[in-house]
Amino acid sequence: MKASFWIGTALAALVAGGAVAQELKFAPGQDSKFNWKSYEDFKASHANLKGQNLTLFGPWRGEDEVLFNSVLAYFNAATGINGKYSSSENYEQQIVIDTQAGSPPNIAVIPQPGLLADLAAKGFLTSLGQENSDWVKTNYGSGEDWIKYGTYKGKDGKEAYFGFPFKADFKSMVWYVPENFEEAGYEVPKTMEDLIKLSDQIVKDGGVPWCIGLGSGGATGWPATDWVEDMMLRTQKPEVYDKWVSNEVKFNDPAVIGAIDEFGKFAKNPKYVSGGVAAVSSTDFRDSPKGLFGIPPKCYLHHQASFVPSFFPPGTKLGTDADFFYLPTYASKPELGTPVLGAGTMFAITKDSPAAKAFIEFLKTPIAHEVWMAQSSFLTPFKGANSNAYANDVMKKQGELLTTATTFRFDASDLMPGKIGAGAFWTGMVDYVGGKDAKTVGTDIQKAWDGLK
Amino acid sequence: MSAAASLRRIGLPRLVVHFSVLVICIVWLIPTLGILVTSFREAGQITASGWWTAFTGAAETSAARLGDPATAKQNGATYVISGSVFEGGKGGTVRAFGTRVAAPTEFAVGKAADLGDGETLTINEDGSYTYSKNAPFEGRGKRVYLSVATPPSFTTDNYRTVLTSQGIGQSFVNSLTVAVPATIIPILIAAFAAYALSWMEFPGRALIIALVVGLIVVPLQMSLIPLLKMYNEIGNFFGVPSRSYAGIWLAHSAFGMPLAIYLLRNYISGLPREIIESARVDGASDFEIFVKIILPLSFPALASFSIFQFLWTWNDLLVAMVFLGTGKDQLVLTGALNALLGSMGGKWEILTASAFITIVVPIIVFFALQRYLVRGLLAGSVKGG
Repeated sequence: MKASFWIGTALAALVAGGAVAQELKFAPGQDSKFNWKSYEDFKASHANLKGQNLTLFGPWRGEDEVLFNSVLAYFNAATGINGKYSSSENYEQQIVIDTQAGSPPNIAVIPQPGLLADLAAKGFLTSLGQENSDWVKTNYGSGEDWIKYGTYKGKDGKEAYFGFPFKADFKSMVWYVPENFEEAGYEVPKTMEDLIKLSDQIVKDGGVPWCIGLGSGGATGWPATDWVEDMMLRTQKPEVYDKWVSNEVKFNDPAVIGAIDEFGKFAKNPKYVSGGVAAVSSTDFRDSPKGLFGIPPKCYLHHQASFVPSFFPPGTKLGTDADFFYLPTYASKPELGTPVLGAGTMFAITKDSPAAKAFIEFLKTPIAHEVWMAQSSFLTPFKGANSNAYANDVMKKQGELLTTATTFRFDASDLMPGKIGAGAFWTGMVDYVGGKDAKTVGTDIQKAWDGLK
Repeated sequence: MSAAASLRRIGLPRLVVHFSVLVICIVWLIPTLGILVTSFREAGQITASGWWTAFTGAAETSAARLGDPATAKQNGATYVISGSVFEGGKGGTVRAFGTRVAAPTEFAVGKAADLGDGETLTINEDGSYTYSKNAPFEGRGKRVYLSVATPPSFTTDNYRTVLTSQGIGQSFVNSLTVAVPATIIPILIAAFAAYALSWMEFPGRALIIALVVGLIVVPLQMSLIPLLKMYNEIGNFFGVPSRSYAGIWLAHSAFGMPLAIYLLRNYISGLPREIIESARVDGASDFEIFVKIILPLSFPALASFSIFQFLWTWNDLLVAMVFLGTGKDQLVLTGALNALLGSMGGKWEILTASAFITIVVPIIVFFALQRYLVRGLLAGSVKGG
């Protein structure tokens, strides 16, 4: 027993020793695609914080955690602050427990503005001030929209700016395999009408156009909410979308029911979906994209956010083996422009300190964005970051769509109250695909929402 | 003895019982077996086919990309790209190939296939290919489709990934540091309490027993925030960190205590009255009776409860995350393995391999104490009050 204890201790010491100094991924000053000046400037202006501690808590685990730590390493190296990031599978619950019990991290990274609004209302967040709000407005693509998602009512009932967006996800995308398109002679559709025509063409050629999978354990149904949100933006004005989020437009409003039925055009057409309609809600969203790469292909098109390449078969090269196109808009509704549905993570100060303020300043430097851009799964609407820093063309294309979008709207289900956006909306979508009609589903969700008040 | 005679000796009812037990055991073991097999397969295989197909070699259709046009060698008027379709991947035997996804097995191996436009492609059984054209190649490397027969293959990479990932050794030590004291402390306290509640006469005893039994039904999630709040206040008052091993030991002990007292009391109160009374007559104090008579006699119950408590603390994620923290140096094994799965989850190869790694310690504990388990549980359960 004693021997094994010492082995354990030695092992622990070994592991701990290896983790002390994290190397900087890209040597400062070397590659000109990075804005090293911003790094040096930041270093010079934050030299007085050496030795302070900073704790960050967020949703990223595994590979994403490694990626975020590579960004954090630059902050630590520049300031001498000891910044530590940690995460937990149930970070949404954990942050509530921690803030309520009085032992929060310095900075919380939360992808649901709805949750942040709750925390702000209870007085757990520190306002970032007008200066940061102005900065985001001028420096981010669709900056006005981004600030809206970071502004909440504080404990005193006054609106203030709390959430700093860093790292965005792009959702309005359809993935496909270029070679499958070439061999069958299909063109990337430019309008929604063409997309439907293409789907019909694929059916006529004996193929199946779509892979749709809503399965996600306890969160089953969420991929359908992205569909409905995208369809909402393609059939209704952005203002209607905003009212839908705040429930001024009810869930059983014709506008919402119309969007749900637009989704149904694809998901509830047995000829359109791989495995038939019954497979839609039972297929896991992580397994669903694999149908694109089947031989022969199980489907040709897949609607999913920018994170999905991590579930492509190992060795898939983006741009050659798989590519995406923007989920097109109806040619018959040109007034809606090119709306983009996205999501993002918000950085909020849950325990104020000079180091926490410095970290928010760090997020305003191009280098903080570029280091992650040059690796993977990161998009930024920050116009000051060099888009050549993106690791590949697919990411670059997504990033450009994000910065040039006429309308940016945040994932509605992340903005709605948790019981709806992470509950009734999900289960409602499963019911809808399972056979209920859009009106019944909309009424059911609205009932759940009314029950909250 | 003939088969019929031995069958008669065993008896039909017993045979049915044995058979049912066997069937239930097998049904229960199948998922475990599936996890074990899956943990030795590659990520690509896991998503492509079920674990039960792992032992038979499979003929699967896959895609490969031929060399980049830049690697073409000019040979007179023809340009040639050659290499192996298995480059960078695992080997196999090519059965057939094709260049269109609609007809992935159009051509036979070993023979030159005419692709039109002056292009010919030959792919041999071992994967080597020659791709030639009477003009320079353009665009990207050509995509070909192969029907490949692969022998069953297994890998230990998943285990290597899990075991060598950063911080896993530290988290293993953390888990032991949490689980061992969190098992011993509640047992010590509960054994004292159980003795007092069964053999010492004092007013309000029945009420205390009822209270303890009532506490079993309180879900621990309810007390997370108030408890952590209290820890933070105490920590602030004394100027010590609120998240510490002492804190989590106390939390685990408190959460495990009602069940521990209940189980042990049932057992201890079922011990023969005569032994304890004769010890009293001989002048033994309550403490002496407890240490010299009760503890040795109730070892089966103690062992069975310690298995329960150890398994619970070892497998726990929630309490550890809340009371110990989520930092790299505080993570317990369950937390560290969970982090390996990534933000989106779905990594079956990591999940299954880690399942078998975490299972090792509880299995050792279980086998070390299992002969007491059944005895302890039965003895406690028969006695009603």
